[in-house]
Amino acid sequence: MIGNKSLTFTTALFCSIAFSSFTWAAELTPSSNVKAAPHQSVQLPSYQGEQVSLKSQKGKILLVDFWASWCGPCRESFPWMTNIQAKYKDQGLKIIAINLDQAKEQALDFLKEYKPGFTVLFDSDALLPEDFGVIGMPTSYLIDRQGNIRATHIGFHNENLADYESAITQLLAEKGE
Amino acid sequence: MADKVSEVVAVAVTKTMKKNKDLARLLTAASCALVSGLSTTTHADDSWDVDSAFLLYSESDSRVSAVEPVVSATKNYDEETKLNFKIVADTLTGASPNGATPSDQVQTFTSPSGKSSYNATAGEQPLDDTFKDTRIALSSNWSAPINRDWAYGVGGYLSAEHDYRSLGVNGNLSRYLNQKNTTLTLGLNLSNDAVTPEGGVPTGLHQIPLDRSDSEFTQRSDSENKNLVDAVFGVTQVINSKTIMQFNYALSTSSGYLTDPYKMLSVIDDTAGSNFGGNFQSGGNNVYLYEKRPDSRLKQSIYWQTKHQFDNSDVLDVSYRFMFDDWGVNSHTIDAKYRFRFDNQYLEPQLRWYTQSKADFYNRYLTSSDYTNTSLASADYRLGDLDTYTIGLRYGYEFADNTEFYTRFSLYHQESSGEKGIGKLASQELYPGLDSMMLIMGYKF
Amino acid sequence: MRGVSGIFGLISITIALTGCSDLGVKPWERGILAQQEMNLINEPIESSLNDHIYFSKEASSGGQGFGGGGCGCN
Repeated sequence: MIGNKSLTFTTALFCSIAFSSFTWAAELTPSSNVKAAPHQSVQLPSYQGEQVSLKSQKGKILLVDFWASWCGPCRESFPWMTNIQAKYKDQGLKIIAINLDQAKEQALDFLKEYKPGFTVLFDSDALLPEDFGVIGMPTSYLIDRQGNIRATHIGFHNENLADYESAITQLLAEKGE
Repeated sequence: MADKVSEVVAVAVTKTMKKNKDLARLLTAASCALVSGLSTTTHADDSWDVDSAFLLYSESDSRVSAVEPVVSATKNYDEETKLNFKIVADTLTGASPNGATPSDQVQTFTSPSGKSSYNATAGEQPLDDTFKDTRIALSSNWSAPINRDWAYGVGGYLSAEHDYRSLGVNGNLSRYLNQKNTTLTLGLNLSNDAVTPEGGVPTGLHQIPLDRSDSEFTQRSDSENKNLVDAVFGVTQVINSKTIMQFNYALSTSSGYLTDPYKMLSVIDDTAGSNFGGNFQSGGNNVYLYEKRPDSRLKQSIYWQTKHQFDNSDVLDVSYRFMFDDWGVNSHTIDAKYRFRFDNQYLEPQLRWYTQSKADFYNRYLTSSDYTNTSLASADYRLGDLDTYTIGLRYGYEFADNTEFYTRFSLYHQESSGEKGIGKLASQELYPGLDSMMLIMGYKF
Repeated sequence: MRGVSGIFGLISITIALTGCSDLGVKPWERGILAQQEMNLINEPIESSLNDHIYFSKEASSGGQGFGGGGCGCN
């Protein structure tokens, strides 16, 4: 009853699905066609102690990353972000990772283990993600020196790391002010 | 516990051999393709998760007992990309009801191979104790996302015991909607099973010969086949931050040899007189017939499951399944579990209730006046009116290194019911219950 | 076959209900759903051992389908 024909077809179907590839946009949104990052003046408490708003970082290239302790890909992204922050600090990159855990203790436990080499803010009441348009965890936004969102990455995929980094270097290369 | 051939299917062995070779080749090619695809996307924190467990199963009255070790290893390429291998072995020994009715006389039955015979004393449930089997099952599954909106999985399995072999492939495709709050899944499973009963494939509803010198034995074929196609369509919905629900519709068709070659029916004398309700005899021997089931079956089921976490972190898991098929079986299953969670331990009481109505061709016995006009019949209690109950308790302990030890003990009770029986048969226990216990011990690392 | 149309009816209703309603959570509200315990089949080994017993002792099998849940991260 299960002829080889139907079997082959099924296999072919799954294989074609399996090997279709999906790429993530590496290009920056041109500055003529951008949207300003919302809530730039909202002050959030940081892991490091002080209150920080996005506005207070103006003039820097910001990588704003929304994450939570229970999210696997977020965990994977921490070493990478630490690394990138160290690498491009002098060129004006500032990574701000905004934690969205509803239970802050879990975030604190996580941070103890994954020691971030970048700024971490707590947004326990989720004031920011809705207007940023976060649709997955993590979602990161690359914000230029004028406070405009120039690139968005949903998730954290090892195979796209080169693209993430090239978006950052492209933006760093743009002339400031 | 695969009751030897409890649910069988397939195509003559010679015919299948070639097909199986092709299938094996196809599976190999597919897995090679997968593995080569994988090697390019491996990551630093690849890890294996292993779940290994051991099941002890034992029925009361020295019926079937089984031991079943399982090892399942999952390689996590990332959050959603996984490769799983599973190996299961089981060994069962003991006796299983052969379908004949108990009697006020000693009964003698021909063993399935026709090489020997066994007895049931007066009033004793006729059990076939030539029952011993070892099964090995291997399966593998691969699941991965396609993009943000789609995911898929593919798998294959092989299961073999001395008189049964099953080979299958499966695949599923999921579509996420509504910010991943809704998931639609379509799953498909194809399998081909071959049964090679001891003594060959008996002729359905033929009188069971006294030994293998009979022509019924000499004309038997060695093997039969069955094919299965299962499709499941499911909707998984996140209700709120603590509740998730699934609703499935499943369609399952089987065709081919669905009969249990080791089961029989008694023919009971229904002519008025001293033997009314006793075993019908022919040539001085009791008449028993091999059972015969239809050569196709279409099952449909709907399934609903909900999981909810309470504010104290305890988790309630409730499910309900309604199944019906074209054999006339309807069944309802309710399963509930409640996990009390403590710091690094949990305790989970479980309850399950199952009820089924009998198949149209189920007969506890046939009568001397109608057995020659019967086209389908089985006295397998598993196709009769049946209620079953499971009560269980699971305990788990998580160590500091995230490994977990767990154990589960459960009791299973079956109650069969049906028509009382005529004449002196009415004083026999036609619908004995069954009690069994199950113990699982496992370790996840 | 009356049952079949009934079932399709039920499924359509479910899809209509789930697809068009406000059910669900925001991506950052999945902390609890992401727990292993909240996966619909969170103990696959136990489930498969049980199913094996029930399969060999009862006339019904299958229908449960597949897991679901998790962090639905990206």
